[in-house]
Amino acid sequence: MPEKHLSSQFEADLNSINTHMMAMGGLVESQVANAMKSFSTMDIEMAIQVIAKEKEVNDFEIAIDKECSEILAQRQPTAKDLRLVLAIAKAISNLERVGDEADHIASRVKKIIEVNAPYQINVAEIRIAGQMALGLLRRSLDAFARMDSKAAALIVADDIEIDNEFRGFVRKLNSYMSEDPRIISTALEILFIAKAVERIGDHAKNISEFVIYVDKGTDVRHLPHDLLIKEANK
Amino acid sequence: MTPDNTQLKNAIEVRNLDFFYGKFKGLKGINLNIAENKVTAFIGPSGCGKSTLLRTFNRMYDLYPGQRAEGQINLYGENILDPGRDLNLLRSKVGMIFQKPTPFPMSIYDNIAFGVKLYESLNKADMDERIEWALNKAALWNEVKDKLNQSGLSLSGGQQQRLCIARGVAVKPSVLLLDEPTSALDPISTGKVEELVHELKSDYTVAIVTHNMQQAARVSDFTAFMYLGELIEFNDTKQIFLKPDRKETEDYITGRFG
Repeated sequence: MPEKHLSSQFEADLNSINTHMMAMGGLVESQVANAMKSFSTMDIEMAIQVIAKEKEVNDFEIAIDKECSEILAQRQPTAKDLRLVLAIAKAISNLERVGDEADHIASRVKKIIEVNAPYQINVAEIRIAGQMALGLLRRSLDAFARMDSKAAALIVADDIEIDNEFRGFVRKLNSYMSEDPRIISTALEILFIAKAVERIGDHAKNISEFVIYVDKGTDVRHLPHDLLIKEANK
Repeated sequence: MTPDNTQLKNAIEVRNLDFFYGKFKGLKGINLNIAENKVTAFIGPSGCGKSTLLRTFNRMYDLYPGQRAEGQINLYGENILDPGRDLNLLRSKVGMIFQKPTPFPMSIYDNIAFGVKLYESLNKADMDERIEWALNKAALWNEVKDKLNQSGLSLSGGQQQRLCIARGVAVKPSVLLLDEPTSALDPISTGKVEELVHELKSDYTVAIVTHNMQQAARVSDFTAFMYLGELIEFNDTKQIFLKPDRKETEDYITGRFG
């Protein structure tokens, strides 16, 4: 039996929301990459650029949401098609929040630079976690594009490492602050950045869980990890 | 592949049912249970055997020479395919409503009284009461109560179909078979009939054949997908429309069927 829809317009509509979500994913990815770059190099120009582009991410969310409601209204999708439309509608809200996190990171960077705050905190963990989060986001979008449940299950596992990096950094920041109270206000800004990175990993994990939902039809949110792996490999 | 309806009482149990149009085998080894006071929908492409299956439940096919069924169809434990069955009695227990409304060319009142008189002799007052009751069941009473003597044919298509449903329920059957009951109706009338199906199931067991998959999704508790005379998948309706087990079902309901 053919994989294609009898209705080529329906096929085109489904492909279109998929493509738009990937385009939004690409934009969000570059926002995160640039926000992290502005943090690593304390580049205020780049931070301003990221903040300016945030609106584009929001516009994408609204446009794709509209497309999803139109498909629901006009086509009444069922089974895998229905799961795909639902998953896209939820995944783009995760992407939009990733965009918000990139915007938060850039705003904090801008603030740190503007107040010319003392900045002798080793932030290697955040840089590493930032790269990891960016990697997870890229892989989650890849897994979504290819509907690859196995790849998605691995992403869910890797998000735990980002959480570990974050906890390690918070412990370190604690000792920095108790040693030198003058850096507390900067340290707090950096803590928010670390938290934003950690949240980006969580959103990538959520997007990966939607891949398994579309592909296998099982809602794996809040499942213990071994059960999630089992569902993904069914 | 079978729904989790083991706790439910079955109105109809179909066992190893084959059906023949002359030499052509229209149904192949069907096994399924139709739960009491639930709506069971049959979907599938044209010619898949869904109407054929429905027509075996009250032996409507007996009207046509050369058609026969083999196997068992147990209606509350009694095999209706047994040769000695009284078909009139069977059809009073298993009523049928067709695609096109089929009111008789007589008054609204007589349309309903006609069937009742075949099985019961009621006095005028009881008959009046039965007719009001049936029209109420079919959600038609308020629209026709002042014109019961007008011809059934004077009603709109949607009203005619509800009149046929009233005629069907008037003889107090236990099972109602609906063969594409709304395919000739506009969306408003369709909505009324669907609402009616929903209400009827508290008193009746309903089996419905429909080409409209959204209709099956809206009105039924269980859905059977048939293809080329076989029962491919039978499950809880929500399961069928969210996550069917079989690829054939998925392809059909998502519109990928070749």
